[in-house]
Amino acid sequence: MDTVSIQIPSARAASTQGRRLLRTRLPVALALLPTALVVLVVYIGCMVWTVRLSFTSSTLLPKLDWVGLTQYSRLFMNDRFVTSAENIVIFGVLFIAGCLILGFLLAVFIDQNVRAEGAFRTVFLYPYAMSFVVTGVAWQWFLNPGLGLQKVVRDLGFPNFTFDWIVSQDMAIYTIVIAGLWHGSGLTMAILLAGLRGVDEDLWKAAKVDGVPTWRVYTSIVLPLLRPMIVTATVLLATSVVKLYDLVVAMTMGGPGIATEVPAKFVMDHLFERNNIALGTAAATIMLICVVSILAPWVYARYVRPQGRHA
Amino acid sequence: MRLKTRVSAYTLAVALVWNSGALAQQMKAEVLHWWTSAGESAAVKVFADQFTKAGGTWVDNAIAGGANARTAGINRMVGGNPPTMMQFNTGKQFDELVSNDLLRDVESQAKAGKWREIMPKPIVDATVRNGKFYAVPVNIHGQNWLFYNTKVFADAGVEPPKTFPELIEAGEKLKAKGVIPLALGGQPTWEHNLFRAVLVGHGGADLFRKVYGARDQAAAKSPKMKETIELFGKMRGLVDPGSPGRNWNDATALVITNKAAMHFNGDWAKGEFIAAGQTAGKEYGCTLVGEGGGKLVIGGDVFVFPATKDKAMLATQDKLTEVLLDPTTQIEFNKKKGSIPARMDVDVSSMDICAQKSHAVLSDPANQVEAMELLSTPNFSGAMQDAVTQYWNNPNMSTDAFIEKITAAMRDAS
Amino acid sequence: MSTVVPQGRRPRRITAGRIGVYAFLITAALFFLLPLWIMLVTSLKPMEEIRLGNILAWPASLTVDAWTKAWSSACTGLECNGISVGFWNSVRILIPSVILSIAAGAVNGYALSFWRVKGANVLFGILLLGAFIPYQVFLYPLVRIFSMTGIYNSLPCIVIVHVIFGLPTMTLLFRNYYAGLPLELFKAARIDGGGFWTIFLRVMLPMSIPMLVVATILQTTGIWNDFIFGLTFAGRANLPMTVQLNNIVHSTQGERAYNVDMAATMLAALVPLVVYFVSGRWFVRGIAAGAVKG
Repeated sequence: MDTVSIQIPSARAASTQGRRLLRTRLPVALALLPTALVVLVVYIGCMVWTVRLSFTSSTLLPKLDWVGLTQYSRLFMNDRFVTSAENIVIFGVLFIAGCLILGFLLAVFIDQNVRAEGAFRTVFLYPYAMSFVVTGVAWQWFLNPGLGLQKVVRDLGFPNFTFDWIVSQDMAIYTIVIAGLWHGSGLTMAILLAGLRGVDEDLWKAAKVDGVPTWRVYTSIVLPLLRPMIVTATVLLATSVVKLYDLVVAMTMGGPGIATEVPAKFVMDHLFERNNIALGTAAATIMLICVVSILAPWVYARYVRPQGRHA
Repeated sequence: MRLKTRVSAYTLAVALVWNSGALAQQMKAEVLHWWTSAGESAAVKVFADQFTKAGGTWVDNAIAGGANARTAGINRMVGGNPPTMMQFNTGKQFDELVSNDLLRDVESQAKAGKWREIMPKPIVDATVRNGKFYAVPVNIHGQNWLFYNTKVFADAGVEPPKTFPELIEAGEKLKAKGVIPLALGGQPTWEHNLFRAVLVGHGGADLFRKVYGARDQAAAKSPKMKETIELFGKMRGLVDPGSPGRNWNDATALVITNKAAMHFNGDWAKGEFIAAGQTAGKEYGCTLVGEGGGKLVIGGDVFVFPATKDKAMLATQDKLTEVLLDPTTQIEFNKKKGSIPARMDVDVSSMDICAQKSHAVLSDPANQVEAMELLSTPNFSGAMQDAVTQYWNNPNMSTDAFIEKITAAMRDAS
Repeated sequence: MSTVVPQGRRPRRITAGRIGVYAFLITAALFFLLPLWIMLVTSLKPMEEIRLGNILAWPASLTVDAWTKAWSSACTGLECNGISVGFWNSVRILIPSVILSIAAGAVNGYALSFWRVKGANVLFGILLLGAFIPYQVFLYPLVRIFSMTGIYNSLPCIVIVHVIFGLPTMTLLFRNYYAGLPLELFKAARIDGGGFWTIFLRVMLPMSIPMLVVATILQTTGIWNDFIFGLTFAGRANLPMTVQLNNIVHSTQGERAYNVDMAATMLAALVPLVVYFVSGRWFVRGIAAGAVKG
């Protein structure tokens, strides 16, 4: 069933139909009105405002002059912004893929009727509840070659052991990915586990009868069934990729050098630290354009085009 | 300007509402600041207690992180519900608030208190706009102190360095003894702070002002600048590999625990030493490094007063001004804060030895150098920071490439 | 959360496979617990010991001072009451915000799944895109909007802000959930003469309990941990606990007490943790009951 147009019995007169339509449609419209207002005023309004400011020379306070594309040319000349853009791609791909894989594995293993399932689930989920300002410090210490893993292993009698990613320009971004996985894969696990629990028991029995190995059932049958869950998880993960900020500030402050800078940090620094609203909003506008161009086709195909009923 | 009229209309409306209850709650001051650590809390308590003694009620609104606090305060000013008094760093952070008429001037109090005579000129210049004081300076922080561990130096048989070439030489000796010569918080802010210490110490105050104040591209390409940059680059060898990302507090801890010998920081770092039970001049020393005895780069904190038409609020603000600059309050506050009084006409003999040193150095105007925050916009400072952190973390980057980044920042950053 | 729901494949005897399962889970658990271990031992050490930098070692001189300090006596400015100050403010913000944002999401999801309204899907598309904009970009214009309406810096203001920013996720969740419910149910209710609200309240809401729990968990975590909105919109009298937490753990020039920082962070996370713990079983069953079929 694709749409849910309510069929009014044809016997009714047209005028009754009209009145009835009004009676049924009005509450729907009223119910959606607040959201519509919010979307118009807050979401669209703020997007327009942001884009508008990116064409100004605003510094500490917004002002509405017009400087054309000046901020954008500055932005693309700015090597920190360029590095940020590269980093967010690296982080985004590894983080989303990593969370989905790790989350799926954790969900599958937890689903093996293990003891203390609740304890495992909570352990995997707790990082999600913790503020990054301080957990980032714990990660920073652990990854620091003089304090954490490297020192511990060397003290154990392996003097050549080296793990200094966090202080290396080329590798530091991957330490952000590691901490990101720690933070995000628990939620993915929970969502996918919920999906697994929804898989029909009969399906398992049938597979068992046919002698299909368990891993094949997971990869060939269960995984496709989990698609809506994977989509939900991916959307949630993707929003946190775009907004990635706290983690970087707590762990590396964008360093070494500018090696772990990310776009949201660029926006924040310029809006609030550097009194450069115009450049900050220009960066935000570019982010917005990127998100729209990646998402719009999907959102359109999935939610806008098919009117009415679908998952 | 549209923004202005709307804001002032709103302020007026708020003021009217306030007036009705004003008599009942006279001299109630809401103060917004970002002093939240234990030492800083103790410092702000000095102000609050003195204000209470003077008959006022201090409503404390502390928000950690300068950017957080400033944004919250500015939003409230624009939203028409400003605090009575609000903290800023001495410098250009509040320029636009003045030009948008969001702040009240305190020129009459300044004239009466002879602020122009009793405060160092850089501090006066940083708070005066269009010939009027728009802020009350409450302290002076020296930003380029070298803190050193006296025991580590004594054990190694090395003298604390007086110039940067000496420092590198001493550093190599210390390194050979197995200690970390220089503890550095490897975050862009602190790398930049180190760079400025080297620039003012080796390049000199003039070069420092030309780079950060005048944005003189020729100065940035001068031989002296190149020499300074090379010296700065050499200091990478004195820092341990664990430095990148480290908080400055952890760097200070390395000096406190005898693991590192030296640490450049502002005098606020004394807070860490004090918290560890150490005394200036005993376990650790403080000195200025540079040609000709060293110059002190000074910044600090100020309080500003959001514009208002409410008489009770104006009177409260007047009282606050008086309290903030009271000589005894100044001494007590700055003892806790780690800074020195904004007014030079007070007796600092009861303060620690580093503070006394600050005061002595600053009594010669030739030693006073405006901090970056006083010379340049936050935006240009930020662009410089991006350049410095890239150079510091890329040993392969040439001096010329670094200078190219600096001049680009000078051209682009508004 | 020891309610092990007997699901999945039937229990087996100890086999190599079983050992492998536990080996994987325990290894993963160790990875997840590692930062918590560092935080826990750090919070139990005095600062002198922390400065020495043995981050993984058990405290030589164990003390719980940091915990009591973090909760009730750490100074942040004039206030010396730790993070306990904002606790009730956080609760006051949390409860209405969670309820209202879930209500809004449920109504939206219901309207979008079962009713045809022109433009509703465009609305939803924009809403979903909005979820990707960094919140900070919204701050300034929102402050201006709220100060014009006169409720800026009040409890209603912060609640409205949370509802606004909860809309995309909540609508998405409920939309997908209702899309999974059988359409026949809705049709039958229509034929019985049920109107928009009647069907929602009598039929849909009772069926949404699992999803309501999921939404509660997501929103509780988000709203409880929010700092920037609380700071900007709540007003001085209603500042949430995270503002105090931030005041304790975040400092530019001040000395840092890492033990207190770590204890404060763990204390602040307790409320969402309790919510996970208590509602864990429904959380998992909740999503399973609905969206999977969609």
